Amino acid sequence: MQTAEFLIELGRYYLYAGGIVTALFLVIGIDRIEPSANGSYAFRPLLIPGICLIWPLVLYRWAVLERTKGHKP
Amino acid sequence: MSVQYTPVLWNRNKLVYDAVLLIAVALYLYVFIRYAPAFEDVTKPIDGATLRMRAFGSCAFLMLTVILCIGPLARLDRRFLPLLYNRRHFGVLTAGIAAVHANYVLGWYYNFSPTDKYVALLSSNTSYGQILGFPFEALGIGALLILFVLAATSHDFWLSFLGAPLWKALHMSIYIAYAFVVLHVALGALQGPGDPILTSLVTASVVLVCGLHFATGRMEAARERGEATAKASLQNAGWVVAGEVDEIDEDCAKVVTLDDDERVAIFKYDGKLSAITNACAHQNGPLGEGKVLWGCITCPWHGYQYNLADGRAPEPFTEKISTYRLKLIGSTVLLDPKALPPGTHVEPVRLGEGA
Repeated sequence: MQTAEFLIELGRYYLYAGGIVTALFLVIGIDRIEPSANGSYAFRPLLIPGICLIWPLVLYRWAVLERTKGHKP
Repeated sequence: MSVQYTPVLWNRNKLVYDAVLLIAVALYLYVFIRYAPAFEDVTKPIDGATLRMRAFGSCAFLMLTVILCIGPLARLDRRFLPLLYNRRHFGVLTAGIAAVHANYVLGWYYNFSPTDKYVALLSSNTSYGQILGFPFEALGIGALLILFVLAATSHDFWLSFLGAPLWKALHMSIYIAYAFVVLHVALGALQGPGDPILTSLVTASVVLVCGLHFATGRMEAARERGEATAKASLQNAGWVVAGEVDEIDEDCAKVVTLDDDERVAIFKYDGKLSAITNACAHQNGPLGEGKVLWGCITCPWHGYQYNLADGRAPEPFTEKISTYRLKLIGSTVLLDPKALPPGTHVEPVRLGEGA
């Protein structure tokens, strides 16, 4: 029971963190690293579940794209 | 990139695809719920919730099987390509159907539990050390989470944002989800009283998915061997490897320098490849840096034009340049270094028709 409760709690906090990352990414990040998203807002809600689920990967790619942005021709 | 994202890119073909998919799923669920009770043991009638749980669960399993068969089928026979066309919607719907199945399970078995139903689901059986009575629910949860991630990352944005290698690696986890689902069924529903239909269904699914992937793997290995042999035999005959077709941009050329310092320009245009000498007949201008228009190359120096297929200037002009023979083996472009007499017509290599 304790393990199950711990796992559920862990999942809950993981999704809370995902919610924060989602807000930051959709408000700030997406326009900085994805030119095709500029001016497109209707599709953004579709990204919410994906960002919440794989937010560590989103943060990693965001950081990589920010770093390489200046090096693009 | 100038194309802006839209929520869902629909066109007539995709709408037809989705409509057929929805009708097929609705039909399957209706037939299952309507007729499955006739095959049940009359001494142990099943309730409506369990029936719907099984209908949605088996539907998701069959959909997952079809999704995994579409790729190899399309590689074995191009007539299956239309099924590949909108597979992402198929995947999203599968995740949805699996979620309904999970919701019925939670609602039926854990709704009246004194503890939180998710906690109850994870803690009701923790005998992970045994095969019989294994907590198969955990395998279903694992598969469902993977299906959720794949459905949630199916928009074009994710392919661009994650990059093709990472996106593809992530989506290859569909095979892990399938393995989890097979084990979920094998250690769950198949452990109950003998059900020949379900047993046959699961066996057929595994045989089909594994068989098709095995057949495709053999076919591709044989094709790669054939390509390697063809390439080696052409190279033995003196042909040179000019590079990969992807290295050449549309309406541009790749310039290859041969052993005798002769330079050859290989052009990609209108889904074709043609090779001509890089030197213009007028003042040796670099044709490989010229512009392709209507199948003709224009020399960047003085505007002399040549038809790429035969190296002849359009009438009334009479200039001619050497052409070269090309072959496409897989995605590799091979060039016969022997220049053909100026003005010799060489049938362009059509892309997508490689050996």
